[in-house]
Amino acid sequence: MTRRTTSAEEVASRRYDATNIKVLPGLNAIRQSPAMFAGSTGAEGVLQLVNEAVDNAIDEVRSNFCDWLQVCLKPDGSFVVEDNGRGIPVDLHEKEGIPAVEVVLTRLHAGGKFSNDGTYVRPSGLHGVGISCVNALSEWLEVDIWRDGFHYRQRYARGSPESTLRTLGTSRKRGTRIRFLPDKLIFDEATDFSHLQLAHRLEELAFLHPGAVIELDDCRRGQRQRFQFVSGILGLLDRLNESRICLHAPPIRIHHNAGDLELEVALQWTESYGDCIKSFVNGANTIHGGTHVAGLRSALSHAMNEYACEKGLLDEHAGDRMTAFDVAEGLTAVLSLSLDLPSFEGQTKSRFTRHAAQQRVETAVYERFRKVLRSESKVATAVIGRALEVLRARRSIRRVCDKNRFEQKNIEVDAEVYKRQFSIRSTNWHDSALWITDEQLLECHASLCKVEEESVGLDVCCGSGIVGAAFKGKVSKMVGLDLTPAMVALAETRLDEVHQGTVYDMPFEDATFDLVVTREVLHILPQPGAPVAEIFRVLRPGGQFITGQILPYGEQDAVWMYRIFKKKQPLIFSMFQEEDFRRLLLEGGFVNLEMQEYLQWESIDLWISTHETTPLHRREIRDLFLHAPREARCIHPFEVLPSGEIRDQWRWCVFSAHKPT
Amino acid sequence: MTNITELQSLPTFENLKTSLAFEARAVLRFLYFAKIAEIEGLHGVAQLFEEMAEGGICCSHGTLDLLRHVGDPDSDIPIGETNSNLRSALQVEMQAFEAIYPAMAATAREDRYPDIASWFETLAKLKRSHVETLRKTLEAMRQPSGGEEQ
Repeated sequence: MTRRTTSAEEVASRRYDATNIKVLPGLNAIRQSPAMFAGSTGAEGVLQLVNEAVDNAIDEVRSNFCDWLQVCLKPDGSFVVEDNGRGIPVDLHEKEGIPAVEVVLTRLHAGGKFSNDGTYVRPSGLHGVGISCVNALSEWLEVDIWRDGFHYRQRYARGSPESTLRTLGTSRKRGTRIRFLPDKLIFDEATDFSHLQLAHRLEELAFLHPGAVIELDDCRRGQRQRFQFVSGILGLLDRLNESRICLHAPPIRIHHNAGDLELEVALQWTESYGDCIKSFVNGANTIHGGTHVAGLRSALSHAMNEYACEKGLLDEHAGDRMTAFDVAEGLTAVLSLSLDLPSFEGQTKSRFTRHAAQQRVETAVYERFRKVLRSESKVATAVIGRALEVLRARRSIRRVCDKNRFEQKNIEVDAEVYKRQFSIRSTNWHDSALWITDEQLLECHASLCKVEEESVGLDVCCGSGIVGAAFKGKVSKMVGLDLTPAMVALAETRLDEVHQGTVYDMPFEDATFDLVVTREVLHILPQPGAPVAEIFRVLRPGGQFITGQILPYGEQDAVWMYRIFKKKQPLIFSMFQEEDFRRLLLEGGFVNLEMQEYLQWESIDLWISTHETTPLHRREIRDLFLHAPREARCIHPFEVLPSGEIRDQWRWCVFSAHKPT
Repeated sequence: MTNITELQSLPTFENLKTSLAFEARAVLRFLYFAKIAEIEGLHGVAQLFEEMAEGGICCSHGTLDLLRHVGDPDSDIPIGETNSNLRSALQVEMQAFEAIYPAMAATAREDRYPDIASWFETLAKLKRSHVETLRKTLEAMRQPSGGEEQ
C-alpha cells in the first residue's frame, strides 16, 4: 500500500468525535448466533475476535493516525490489543445520549466508517459489527482510551456496561487498548488457539502496511515477536516463496492508482503444483478470493493466450487455449486492493464481492502484464512455457482416461491400467500426503498381526515398503512386491527382499506366506476380487491378511467422498463402504474378520498437490469442501482453517482376516 | 384445469412430465456450469447461469403446480400436502434404492465400467438412507401429536 500523507490542517479539519458515529438500529442476535459473526465457536472464532480488534487498529494505521499496535495473549485466556491511534471518541453521542465509545461497543452497526467524511481512509471494516461483536461475545471487556490529555476506562460484561466511562487522570499518551476474555459460555475451551495463525496474520499486516510496527507478546508461551517491514507486498511474496523454486527473478510488480481504487500486485511463477494467491481488500485477508482474484486470473490468462498465439505457440484457429488454471499453475501472487467502499461476504470478510471491481482489476492487470511479457522475453518464455506444459499434461491425463475407458471394454484385466495406476506415484511419495508416514496408522496395521515370529510376510503393492517395515520384529522376513523398478529400489532399503511384478499374477507359489499386508490399494483396481483371490492363493492355510482402507463414515458422505476422491485420482474404481469391503473379503474366502478404526487428519492441500490432479479438479475439490452437502457434513468431520487450508478427518478401517485352515 | 382424471390420459400429461424433467435438468446444468465459471474466474458468466437456474426452478415448480393433483410423475402419488409429499418421496427413493440403481450398476459392470457401477451403488446406498429417514418422519407424522415438535 502506498501510504498517504495527512497534513496537520487535514487532520484538524477531519473531526473524529461523537458526530461521526452513526447508529444503525438493532443488536442482540450476536450471542444467539455467535458463529454467524465470528465464523465458529471454536479456536477460530476466538481468533476472529482478536482479528476484529486488530482490524480496528489497522484502520487507524491505514488512515495514518497510528504506527504501532500490540497484541498480547494473557495466561488467563484473555487478549489485549493496543494501538497508538486517535483513541475511540468519548464525547456524548447526540442521539444516543451516551459516550461515543459506548455506542461503538454496544450498538451493532455503529462506527466511524459509515460516513464518507474522511474520518477513515479505506477501512477494512465497514459492517460496524466488529468491536461490538467482540464485546457481546466476551465474558468481560475493558476499554482504555488515551485522548485529548486524559485517560478513560470502561468495563463491560457480556456486552453490557458494568460502569459508566470513568476518567482515570491526565495523560499525554494517545491510543486505544481493548482487553477481553472470550466468553466460555460461547466458545469451546480454546486450548488449541493457534499462535502461529495469529503470528502469520500480524506478519502479513506488517508487510501490507510498510513502516508500521506490529508486536505479538504471547505470555502463554513466553514468546515475543516484532514485525516491521518496508518491503511491502514484494516482501510478503518473498516470504511465501521461501521454500519454492522460482522460475524467474525478480517478481513482476504491478501498481495501478485510479483515485478511488488502488491496486498492487506481485507475481512470481514457481515449480510448485497449484497456485498460491493471497488477496487483500483494504488490508482484510480475503481467503476465499472473490471478484478481485477472478479479475486477476482472467487478466493473466487473456494476456498469456494472446502472447502465445502471436508467437505461434498456440493455434488460435484450432481453438487452442490455456485455461485460467493452466496459467496460474505454480503462481505465487499477492494482490492488495484498496478502495473506498469494499463489500464482503459475511463478517469474517473471507470473500470480496464487489462486481464492478473485477473488470477494473482485470483491465489494469491485463494492460501492464501484457507489456511485461513483451518487454521481458525471459520471463515470458519461462512463464508461458510452464503454462503450456500444464496444458499438455492436462490433455494427456484426459487421453489416459479416455484410453483407459476404451481398453476396459476389451480386456478382462487391464495390465496397462494397472501399470499406469502404480507408476504414477511420485518420487517424493512420502511427502505427498500425511497418511503415508502416519506412525499411529502404521501401528494400527501392525498391532493386528497375530502370526508367529518366524513367519514370512508379504507387502503387496509395497511402494516404498513403509507398511511392510512396520511389521519388523513381528515376522522373521518381510518380502515386498511392486510394479515399478523405482519403487522396488526404494523398498529394498526397508524390506528383506523385493520382487517386481503384478498383483493380478503374483510371482509366488501357492501357500508361500503366513501374512499378507496391503494398504489403500484395492479401490484403485478395476476388479478388486482378482487381487484378493491372488492374495488368498499365496497365503498358507491359517495365514493372515491385513489391509487398511479409507472408508466413508456412512451412506450420507459416500457420494460426496466419491466425487472428491475421483477428482483427486481419476483412476479410482470403487468407493467401498464398510459392508462392501467386508463382503469383498468374505466372498474371497476369508474368515475371522476383525476391524480396527483409526481417525486421521489429512491435509487436503498437500494431498491434492500432485500432477495426477488437474488444476480444475483441485479447485473443484476445495469447492466440494466449502459447499459440502449438509447430510455429509453431519457425519464427516473436516475443517477449513482461517488460512483457507483444509483438513479432512479420514476414517481408516484396518481389517484383519484369515484363510481357513 | 377442468378435469383432472381426464388429463392423466392425455398427451399433455406426458408433456408436463417431459417439461418437468427438462427444466429440472436445466437447473442442475446451469448450477454446475455456474460453479465451473466461478472457479474459472468468470464471475459474470457464473452469475448469468445462477440467474437462469433460479428461473428454471420457478419453471419446474410451475409445472409441479399443474401436476399437483394428478400425481408425482415418478410415483403417481398425488402430491400437495406434506403427508402425501412424504409418501411420494418415500416411494421414489425406494424405487431408486431397490430397483433403478441396482439395475444401472449391474449394467455398468456388464459394460465393464466398474467405477460407474461403484457410483450407482454409492447412490443406491444414499437412497437407502433416505428411505430410512423418510419412513421415520412419516411414522412420526402419523402419531396423534402430529409429529411436528419444532
